Order: sequence, then C-alpha cells, then structure tokens
Amino acid sequence: MTLFLQFVLTGLVTGCFLILATIGFSFTRRVEGFLNIAHAELLGVSAFATWGCNKLLGWHILPSAAVGIVVTAFAGLAIGRIVYDPIRRLGPSVMLITSVGVAYAIGGTIDALIGTGIRTLDIPLATSIRFWGLRITDYQLIVVVLAILCSASLALFLNRTKTGLAIRAMSANPELAASRGIDVKKTSRATWLISSGLAGVAGVMLGVIATLSTDIAFHQILQILAVAILAGLGSLYAVIVSGLIVGVAMDVSVFWIPAGYRPLVAFAVVILVLLFRPQGIAGSASGK
Amino acid sequence: MIQSLILSTLMFGAMFSVLTVSLNLQYARGGMINFGTVAYFAAGAYAYAIFTQEPPSGLDQYAFGFDLPWWVGFLAAGLAAMLFALVTGWPTLRLRGEYLALTTFAFAEVFHSILLNERRIGNGSVGMANVERPDPASIGLDDTLGYTLAACALMLLTAWLFHRLLASPYGRLVDATRDDEIAAESVGKDTARVRLQIFVISAIPIGFAGALYAMITTLVAPALFTAEVTFFVWIALALGGERTIPGAILGTLALVFFQELVRAIPFETVRGAQIAASAEEVITGILFILVLRWQPWDRLSRKAGS
Repeated sequence: MTLFLQFVLTGLVTGCFLILATIGFSFTRRVEGFLNIAHAELLGVSAFATWGCNKLLGWHILPSAAVGIVVTAFAGLAIGRIVYDPIRRLGPSVMLITSVGVAYAIGGTIDALIGTGIRTLDIPLATSIRFWGLRITDYQLIVVVLAILCSASLALFLNRTKTGLAIRAMSANPELAASRGIDVKKTSRATWLISSGLAGVAGVMLGVIATLSTDIAFHQILQILAVAILAGLGSLYAVIVSGLIVGVAMDVSVFWIPAGYRPLVAFAVVILVLLFRPQGIAGSASGK
Repeated sequence: MIQSLILSTLMFGAMFSVLTVSLNLQYARGGMINFGTVAYFAAGAYAYAIFTQEPPSGLDQYAFGFDLPWWVGFLAAGLAAMLFALVTGWPTLRLRGEYLALTTFAFAEVFHSILLNERRIGNGSVGMANVERPDPASIGLDDTLGYTLAACALMLLTAWLFHRLLASPYGRLVDATRDDEIAAESVGKDTARVRLQIFVISAIPIGFAGALYAMITTLVAPALFTAEVTFFVWIALALGGERTIPGAILGTLALVFFQELVRAIPFETVRGAQIAASAEEVITGILFILVLRWQPWDRLSRKAGS
C-alpha cells in the first residue's frame, strides 16, 4: 500500500511538472489560436541556456536559471513576431504545420551547439524528505511549489491586471477587442513573453529533476499534447486538473504494467477522452 | 558516387512519394490532417516482416513468423494498413481539424509504444532483422537498381490510380465533401462515409510502401518508425505545393535528394558529421517555414493560369 501511495505521490509531482510545461502551451492556444508544437523545444532552449551558464560559465544555479528563463521568453517572442505573426491570416492548420518546422529549426540548432551525450546541472544532490513512509526530494517539492505559484500568478494576472484583461478580450474576440482600442500588437507581445517564459520555468525544472540530452524536448511535446487535449484545448484552469490526472495515471500505471508503457497510458487517456468527450474535461465548446 | 546518389534519391524518394501522394489525397482533397502517417507505414512494414519471417527460433521473442512468399507479405502489408486505417478512422473522423491531427498523432504514438514494448510482435526495440526479400538478380538486375525500379513503379501506379480516382465523379464528390459538407449532405451524399473511404483508400499504398521499405532496409524496428517520418512527409508535401500529385512527388524527391546529399559528404570527425546532420535539420525546418509563409508554388500556378 505504501508503495502504491508512493507512486501516487510521484505521479502528483510529475503532474505538477506537466502543468508547468503545458500551461504556456494552452495559453498560446487560447490567445493565438493554434497548437504550437515548437513549445516543447523552448523547454530545451531554457534547459540548455541554464546548463550553459551553470556549467560552462560556472555561475550559481539561481542566476543561471534567471538567464535561461529570460532568454527563452525573448526567443519565444522573437519567433512569434518573425514566424507566426505574418501567417496568422492563413489559419490555424498552416500555423500548426509551420510550428513543426520551427521545432525542427530549434531542435537542430540545439543539437549542433550542444552535441550528443547526457548533461547534468552543477547543483547539490537532492535530499529526500520522509513522512508516513513516503519520500519526496527537495527538488520535487520545488516543482510542486512552482506549479502552484505559476498557475496562481497567471490566474491573478489574467483577472486583475489591465494587460491580462486585454489578453482575455483578445482571445475571446480579436476584432471587437481591437475596435475597443486594445493595442493588439502589444497584447500579442505580452502573450508570447508569458507563454515562453513559462516554458522557460518548466525547462529549468526539467534540467533540475532530470538529466539533459538534446532529444529531451521532443519527448515532452507528447505529454504536453496529452495534457492539453485532456484539458480541452485552450482552457487554463482545466490544465491543472488534467496535468495531475495524466501525471498520476502515468506513474500509477507502473504499479500494474511494465514501465515502458508509461507514455502509452498518457495517450490512451487522450484517445478515450477525444472519443467520448471531444471538447475535453473543461466542457466548453472551444473546439472550433 | 553521383550515380549512387541519384539511385538512392530515386529509391527512397519514390518510396516516400507514395506516402506524400496518399497524404495529399487525405489533406488537399479530403481536408483531413493526418499526423499519424508513420503508423500506417509501420503497420505495412511489420505485417510484411511477420508474414515472410521464419518461425521464431533461438533468441527470437516474436510469436508469429509465417514464412510465406514475399508477395503474400506484400499483400498483407496493404491489408494491414487498410485495417489499421479502418480501426483508427472510424472513431476519429468525426473530429475536425486540429483534433483529428492530435488523435491520429496519439494513435501513432500508441502504436509505436506497443511495437517497442510488446516483444511478441516484433522483438520489441531490437526489431526483426534479415527480413526476407525477393532477389532482383533472378531477373538479371542489380540489387539497388531493382528496388529503385520497384519503388518508382509503386509510386507511378499510386499516382495514376489516385489521379484516375479524383478525375472521376467520385473525385468531385470528395471535393464537395471537403468544401461544403452541409451542401453535400443536403443533396443526399453520405459525407462521413466518403471521408472514411478516402482515409482507408489512401492508407493502402502507405502499407505497400512500408513493405517495400522493409525489403530495402531488411530490418524493421520501432526506431525506424518515429513521428519524424510523419513530419518528413508533411514537410515534403508543403515543399511541393500541397495541391497536386506531381507537386507532392517533386517535393519529396527534392527533400530526399537534399538529405542524401548531406549524407554523401565524407566527414573526418564524428562531431563534423553530427553538425552537418543538425544543420540539415535546421535548414529543413527553415525551408518549411519559408515555403508555408510565401507559398511560391501557388503563386506560380496562379500566374500560369491567368
């Protein structure tokens, strides 16, 4: 029983990481209206920027992480302005397919710069905290805290600040928002900065809790997609629930079936959800 | 050197063209975004290997090997892809646009994961090596040349059949379904059925191409059938202008030629080769973005038309 609970706990941590990774993706989907396959590559950009500062330049992890997040946020902004803005009129399908090209370009650049092999950050070893026979490491706790902080501050930002309200207005009805005097360009810039910054946070945590290799980003997109679909594309609050569901389902499944099937469980959930409830668990008809 | 470059471009180019042409039918004519192309390709390759492989012995972990002649395996490959398209298409085709793209993508990932983990299908991650294949020498042809011709034949046959199909009244029904489903429904057409038919029909040649791929590489392993194949075919389709059959074929040939060219460069160090491979990826991605951004082929054809 303790072992089972341990799997559930690890699953919750995985879920929190997935929330961090997916929330920016869902945010882009909601405001910009397309699925950004390249979002996962931004996690890679952040993780390797952090690694570069931390390991190659010998900086402490905190300034390295800050640099990683900022670099990623501006890289995402630049890509949004240069690549996606001019093709918005061509519709979400073309933007979706274009983002595959972007993912290739980013992935290839990281490959060329970093090379193959496994990398780790220069940080103290994790210490585990025990309670009721369960274990959780301090880094895992940081993931949980960051997931809560990021989703809470995003919710506050969208509901309380002027820019946040502008973003919501734009995602609901771009033409109406523009005609009511909202600066569409500025709002779009803020969106790219925020969603890429969130990818940056997730990327840093990826470097902290896992070992880094250059193909790591690609594996994340599968799970990000799973969580995003389950949440109902574009819904932000449901991401929290569905991230936890996918995380727990993946880790608890190891209790019964071989660990190799972990990614399969995520997609089995997705297929079931899409077949019976195509609009996702959030239940809004945002599927158009 | 140049000859082998041209031959391998033609061989792989023609084989992947079969995928691109089928995808063209699904996307440009049927309006369906299939992001799981590789699954049908893998289904064909595995079906071929299972039907022609000898029964398992020694360290083999696969459960079935029927040891049948190659043409049975080839037919089985088409059939397997068709069945897989039926199974995956029937529940998913009522989804639209990006939802369809994501479900097909998910199906492909699940299929890949099963191939990787279920050793009884094809030895798990090791895959099945030494896949049986017909020997072109029996009709007096060189190995590479023989398979190049076979790939070209399959490509031309697929292109011709699809061309005939779409030039027929049925092709107009397909276009009507894509352009305005409600209008097509209102004149008594069963659009759901048309979509499923197109989905299944276009999967069959993909299965055949899978069998051919298994013959050429004589190996089937999960690592050969990743989502990268799907993305590759999509990029080729976009390069070629995504509307016409010759465009799809030219796009694929150009992309394969580019890749083979990079591979043909001799490298002194492993690092050098690796950088070249990464650069190839970056250039492919950027080309893709540029083509989608400016759509030069559409413009050219419009100019030629006016």
